[in-house]
Amino acid sequence: MFTSRVNRLSPYLFMAPAVIIMAIALIYPLGYMIWGSFRAWDPSQTIGEAEFVGLKNYITLWHDPSFRESLGVTLRFAFFCVSIEMVLGVGLALLLDRNIRGMSLLRTMFILPMMIAPVVVGLMWRYMYHPSVGTFNRVLETLGLPDVDWLGSHALTSVISADIWQWTPFIFILSLAALQSLPRSALEAARIDGATGWQQIVHIKLPLMMPVLIVTALLRLIDAFKVLEVILVLTEGGPGLSTEILALRISRTATEFRELGVAAAMSNYLLILLMLLTVGMFAFNRWQEARAAKVRMAAEEDS
Amino acid sequence: MDQSYEKQNPAFYAVIGLLVFMSVGPVVLMFVNSFKLDVDIISGTSGLLFLPTIQNYETALCDVLWYEPDHLEFCSLKFGGAFINSLIIALISTVLTLVIGAMSAYALVRFRFMGRDTVSVTTLMVRMVPPAVLLVPVFGLWNNEFCLDKNGLIGGAIRDAFGGRGDVCLAGTHSGIIIIYVAMNLPFVIWILQSFIVQVPRSLEEAARVDGAGPFQVFFKVVLPLIKPGLAAAAIFTFRIAWNEYLLASALSDRNTKTVPILIVNNMSEFNVEWGVIMATGMLLAIPPIIFTLFASRQIITGMTAGAVKG
Amino acid sequence: MLKQFKAAAMATALMAGTALANPYAEYEGTTLIVNFPAHPHYDAVMKILPEFTKETGIEVEVDQLPYLKMRERQTLELGQDQGEYDLIAYVVFSKADYVYADQLENLAKYYMNPKLADPAYDADDLIDGYVYNIGFAGGNKGYLEGKTGSLFGIPYGSETSILGYRKDIFEKHGLEVPETYDEMLEIACKIPDLEPGMGGLSSRAASGHHASHAFLLHLAPLGGRVFDDNWNPIVNNDAGVKAAQALKTIVDCGPEGAKNFGFGEALGAFLNGDTAMFLDTTVVAGQIDNPNKSQVVGKVGWAMHPMGVRRGSQTGGFGIGIPANAENKEAAFLLMQWLTSKKGDKLVALAGGNPSRFSTHDDADVNAKFPHMSTFGEALKHADPDWRPIIPVWGKVNADLGTTLSKVLTEDLDIQEALDGVAERTKAVMEEAGYYTWQ
Repeated sequence: MFTSRVNRLSPYLFMAPAVIIMAIALIYPLGYMIWGSFRAWDPSQTIGEAEFVGLKNYITLWHDPSFRESLGVTLRFAFFCVSIEMVLGVGLALLLDRNIRGMSLLRTMFILPMMIAPVVVGLMWRYMYHPSVGTFNRVLETLGLPDVDWLGSHALTSVISADIWQWTPFIFILSLAALQSLPRSALEAARIDGATGWQQIVHIKLPLMMPVLIVTALLRLIDAFKVLEVILVLTEGGPGLSTEILALRISRTATEFRELGVAAAMSNYLLILLMLLTVGMFAFNRWQEARAAKVRMAAEEDS
Repeated sequence: MDQSYEKQNPAFYAVIGLLVFMSVGPVVLMFVNSFKLDVDIISGTSGLLFLPTIQNYETALCDVLWYEPDHLEFCSLKFGGAFINSLIIALISTVLTLVIGAMSAYALVRFRFMGRDTVSVTTLMVRMVPPAVLLVPVFGLWNNEFCLDKNGLIGGAIRDAFGGRGDVCLAGTHSGIIIIYVAMNLPFVIWILQSFIVQVPRSLEEAARVDGAGPFQVFFKVVLPLIKPGLAAAAIFTFRIAWNEYLLASALSDRNTKTVPILIVNNMSEFNVEWGVIMATGMLLAIPPIIFTLFASRQIITGMTAGAVKG
Repeated sequence: MLKQFKAAAMATALMAGTALANPYAEYEGTTLIVNFPAHPHYDAVMKILPEFTKETGIEVEVDQLPYLKMRERQTLELGQDQGEYDLIAYVVFSKADYVYADQLENLAKYYMNPKLADPAYDADDLIDGYVYNIGFAGGNKGYLEGKTGSLFGIPYGSETSILGYRKDIFEKHGLEVPETYDEMLEIACKIPDLEPGMGGLSSRAASGHHASHAFLLHLAPLGGRVFDDNWNPIVNNDAGVKAAQALKTIVDCGPEGAKNFGFGEALGAFLNGDTAMFLDTTVVAGQIDNPNKSQVVGKVGWAMHPMGVRRGSQTGGFGIGIPANAENKEAAFLLMQWLTSKKGDKLVALAGGNPSRFSTHDDADVNAKFPHMSTFGEALKHADPDWRPIIPVWGKVNADLGTTLSKVLTEDLDIQEALDGVAERTKAVMEEAGYYTWQ
């Protein structure tokens, strides 16, 4: 009798700790933040003490050229990072999908960049980009070429490169796993039919990998908006605002300028942007899944 | 999967070599630099010919060394303490996240209950939130609202036991940081573990149920041991995030709860860029992730691919 | 006879007794928690703190943070009912914020307390420019000296600007040490031709407070100001444009990567021998002579900040004050007094810190160890407390000024246009903060 009651309650008991913690530490703060974005809020006040200002924070931000620049930087950063990493990662996976000795050792080495703390990644690259003692400029000097002002004139490119270094392995590993789980039958059939390597890739491999690739790209896109520590250590958002992505700007507005209401409004803008992108990706994914199913069915019919 | 190793053309190996060099190169560079004196690093003596020194590590670890290094006038970097803080926070967060996450994943997979879809969707959505967005409210809440009055019962007891001044707030305590890390990592861990639990055959659970085991016993004795690879992967990822995280930790810590990433960023001050010491601290922070990579790469990859690649 | 003898004996005993009374006795065993920045001066302070503990029995625990983090932390702590810190080192323009929000103790009552105030303190010896810039609040314009103000902190770790130059390079090419701005700019741009690979003058230039700091260094001597007496921004007048142009010239003729130099990189370039001149804070003097960090030991000469239409070097750095919500205020005052006393000041100067007293600059021992101290003492006579406004909204204005100037340097924006933009936006900020209420 007791057990049956426990059995009915058990799902809730299992879920309870997680729900409680997420409610306290995630949902409540998020709600608090949305509430706080309508107020002029200083860090030393609790939200009750802060003055209600309606949509003022949102309107101010919308017209603020710094916010717009930061938004542009964020979008460009995310776009370039994700697209270049996808191309490189998938390309490498296609290239290296062969049986070679020591593949697992190689994979081990490839995941090293991902595991290193972003702070340390920023550190390493800051050293390498340093105008006088950095590795890159020293190599250029020995080759007789002029120095490049990496973190100055090419700040965004440099930051994107650091991110590509850290996260391409992620795409690579996932693509490789996807490739290795493709049905061999379809590939065999294509090879027998005389399809060239390139045709195999475009018509068989890629479409079949699409669902995984979409999910991967989505994951990477979401994470690209979270990048902060690398940029903080490398350039602190400079020069000017050329590498100040929204996450960094929010953190600065909160801690340096001490305008929590504005920071909260900015956070909301960011969340809305993320949601739009996610929904878009999901729709795209649905469409691709349908396509992949069609290809799979066609291949199975032929074999 | 045939085991014959095909021969590849040399260009292939060249590409592989290049990739390895690019992946591992910067880390090796940092490692080498951490053993050089600042003057050597700055003056550009080419990397391989230099006298290695452990001075940088001595400076970093000065508060846990049993001797006083000669070159140091006073101990400013309290790295040992930060290391312990990082360890405590990361370990406890990982354990808590695993237990709570496994339980939730199990519930979401096996049970039908009211609100299940809401929870599932919320878990996914929350994953999107950047830590910077959480920073604003958490900073405010942890410092001002989630507080125990120091004259109250529990608050007073804490003050008597641990000292300190003012109200007892979540900010500046290990628990404050641990809670937010657990919350941040739960969505991901639940997602990973779900795909592992799905693979546990129901028949085993049924058999245990028939033998009279309650749901908790089924969970702990039957399911958990079977998803060990998933647990390992989730543990590594959670530990990595808790170990490496900077933003929230720096907002929520005070001088006694500083973690290693905070110390590293603080050290990059404007006035005295001590590259050698910075590299040494970076290396020290990177040691656990490197160890994980070397010894647990399979689990890491399993964790990554779970959920993304089906079957 | 005996009665007189007894009276005399009692009087002597009493005097001896009071002479042996220790002002620190009541506070022995207290632990003070202080907040200091990671800064060369405060590194020197760390070295002399054990001396304080030995003498007084008061323990000091230091929370040393990078300067920006320190400000954030302090903002948080000072806003609580009871704070962690008994003594804080604050940056100059935090003075405006803290005093306005009533978060710093007014020091008057401590100096009035005979048990705490040391009669041998000699406050006149403290450097005027520093005291008014860093410690005084409520005077003229709200942040300068004046009859309406009072003291909230003591300058500690203050700095002014000075020109360092490579004696050997100047000798080699027969260059004269520049006295005026035109001379300095001329030499700055000659150097890259005379010494290939070497920059003229390394300066801060990175976006944000680095660029604006560098700009303001030139604004005051060239006769400019950020605001006029009615708080209208005049940063875009002729003097302002000239100052921005001077900065651009310096950066263009500077070493590789000069456009993004923060303070650390600019100093590093000078220490490496990549530039011939360095115009910035006096704080660096200690590092220049340190063979572990510098490759130009012994090759550097010092001169005063060049003259534009007047002499005006910066005043800045830190001061120490007691938070209103501190727990051990009296002991904190004793620490503050000890650190800035003649003895403490000399100790910190010998350890490589920045003295806050005229006497320390002229002291023989100090000059024996650091021969540049007397030049610094000279320079301090021209320290301008008004080179940078210290008002609560300055942070925002400063950030805008700094980002805009960085764009001038890196993207070649037109200077007049850029400064006009700054003036306009500043005016909006000032309007909102209420500075035009009385106009």
